[in-house]
Amino acid sequence: MKKILQIILVLTFTASISGFVLSSVNKWARPFIEENRIRAISQAIFLVQSEGKKYEKLNIGELDAYKVFDENNNSIGFAVVHQGNGFQGPIKLIFGINEELNRIKSIEILEQVETPGLGTLITEDDFKNRFKNLNAQSIIKIVKGKKPSNDYEVQAITGATISSKAVVEIINDAIAKLKKHNGIEK
Amino acid sequence: MKKQVSLHYEFLKGLWEIHPIFKQALGLCPTLAVTVSAINGLAMGLATTFVLIFSSVIISSIRKIVPNQVRIATFILIISTFVTIVDLVMKAKFPELSKALGPFIPLIVVNCLILGRAEAFASKNKIFRSFLDALGNGTGFLLALVVLGSIRELLGTRCIFGFQILPDGFSTWMVMILPAGAFLTLGLLLGFANAYTKWKKEKSEKEILITN
Amino acid sequence: MDLIIIFIGAALINNFVLSYFLGICPFIGVSSKISSAISMGLAVIFVMTITSIVSWLINHLILIPYHLEFLTIPSFILVIASLVQFVEMVIKKVSSAIYRALGIFLPLITTNCAILGLALFAQMRDYSLIESIIFALGAGSGFTLALVIMAGIREELELANVPEPFQGAPITLIVAGLLALTFMGFAGII
Repeated sequence: MKKILQIILVLTFTASISGFVLSSVNKWARPFIEENRIRAISQAIFLVQSEGKKYEKLNIGELDAYKVFDENNNSIGFAVVHQGNGFQGPIKLIFGINEELNRIKSIEILEQVETPGLGTLITEDDFKNRFKNLNAQSIIKIVKGKKPSNDYEVQAITGATISSKAVVEIINDAIAKLKKHNGIEK
Repeated sequence: MKKQVSLHYEFLKGLWEIHPIFKQALGLCPTLAVTVSAINGLAMGLATTFVLIFSSVIISSIRKIVPNQVRIATFILIISTFVTIVDLVMKAKFPELSKALGPFIPLIVVNCLILGRAEAFASKNKIFRSFLDALGNGTGFLLALVVLGSIRELLGTRCIFGFQILPDGFSTWMVMILPAGAFLTLGLLLGFANAYTKWKKEKSEKEILITN
Repeated sequence: MDLIIIFIGAALINNFVLSYFLGICPFIGVSSKISSAISMGLAVIFVMTITSIVSWLINHLILIPYHLEFLTIPSFILVIASLVQFVEMVIKKVSSAIYRALGIFLPLITTNCAILGLALFAQMRDYSLIESIIFALGAGSGFTLALVIMAGIREELELANVPEPFQGAPITLIVAGLLALTFMGFAGII
């Protein structure tokens, strides 16, 4: 009987102290973690909307979208965070698009676990620059092995077609959802 | 009454004699996973050592009042508390490192090294000795992680700790950054460590024969 | 279709042992005989599947609603420890031969980073209950596959002339490296 009592006491005591310590540390850490999250998002948004000075989160259920404003409080478009399946795992990216939703400004890859040396090249400027000023009026297309012949086409990375395609599909999907929300026909 | 070992030894043994990776083959999962670069290895080593020291000290101080049946459960509870502390502090103050090390910080809780030392040493020894044991094992682990991380970073990206060492002409060994490279490098290092141990043993045996 | 991708992804393309480095300790410890590898693998698949269900429940019924995410690590690991204790009792009753063959490695499934890793990944990727279960089955199968292949190779290695310093863990790791390289070939399936 004494043994069982001792067991219960030790476990309860340890669990309580542990719970107390953890909730205190958690309380301390919460604001910093939130600050980091906001800083990361701001950095990403202003990276893809270079004249942006302020932003406002939009209330679209399935999409992480922000309306971006310049220093005179004029709207200069949107920044959208979206993710989808890449080759080896999920790819998370952010892209800046103009007010009319028909021209991409710039893209940034936030998270990816693609093949080093091949799929990871989607994070290089060489690939990202192919999206600058891209026509987004209708669906963006991928072309392989040759230069794009239309302004809505992006050349895939040689040897990383699936990763390249994934990026394009994620962007297309996000734009479609944003257009639907804004009531714009595709 | 067992013979008292010197305090120096309690610390030093963790650096080679009973080295966690090279002699005990413990903690291999994080060793392989986070050593893509020297800085990641260093961060993981520090985090693990922190958890190891605090857990060992606490476990050693309550070793006389923990009933045998709930030994493991209590140890795990204590270890997971410190691991969560490290995880939260890293997320708050070192977000980039936290992201780089990913799920392997929480996975410190199942690093066989910590539970292993708790079982084998901290639960049976005084606080100060347990502290030294933890410090030694942790440091040994950390050094190994930094060495492994440096090798893989150097051969895979020409840099160590982000500073370029090898000339641009050197063709990087992409395999070093991949899982395969981790296995191969660790396997080779382990083999050489064993060979060294064997050579030293044979050398000292020869010397004993000669002096006789 | 998505479920199939999750399964194949976890089993082959991002094999828990060969890509994520989870489950290395048992991988090196239990992979010397094909029979014990199979037993260990099955035990792991079982523990993983139940763990995925229970951890999903804990996550969605307790941790998230009450903002207790910071208690994830202790709660998950305690669940795993209890489950393993339970599985150990069951195996002991059902087949003492298997129990003896697995030896110390059965309780060590608790510290098998693969189980905790599985629970954490499923939480991070926000899988539904069904997705978590399929993920667990895939990961467990992949683990078993890697373990059995390794055991097969090691049984052959017994007859080879491995230099003494490299016997045991070193040569196993080197072989694992070559195996990891091979598994990279699966990356093209989906």
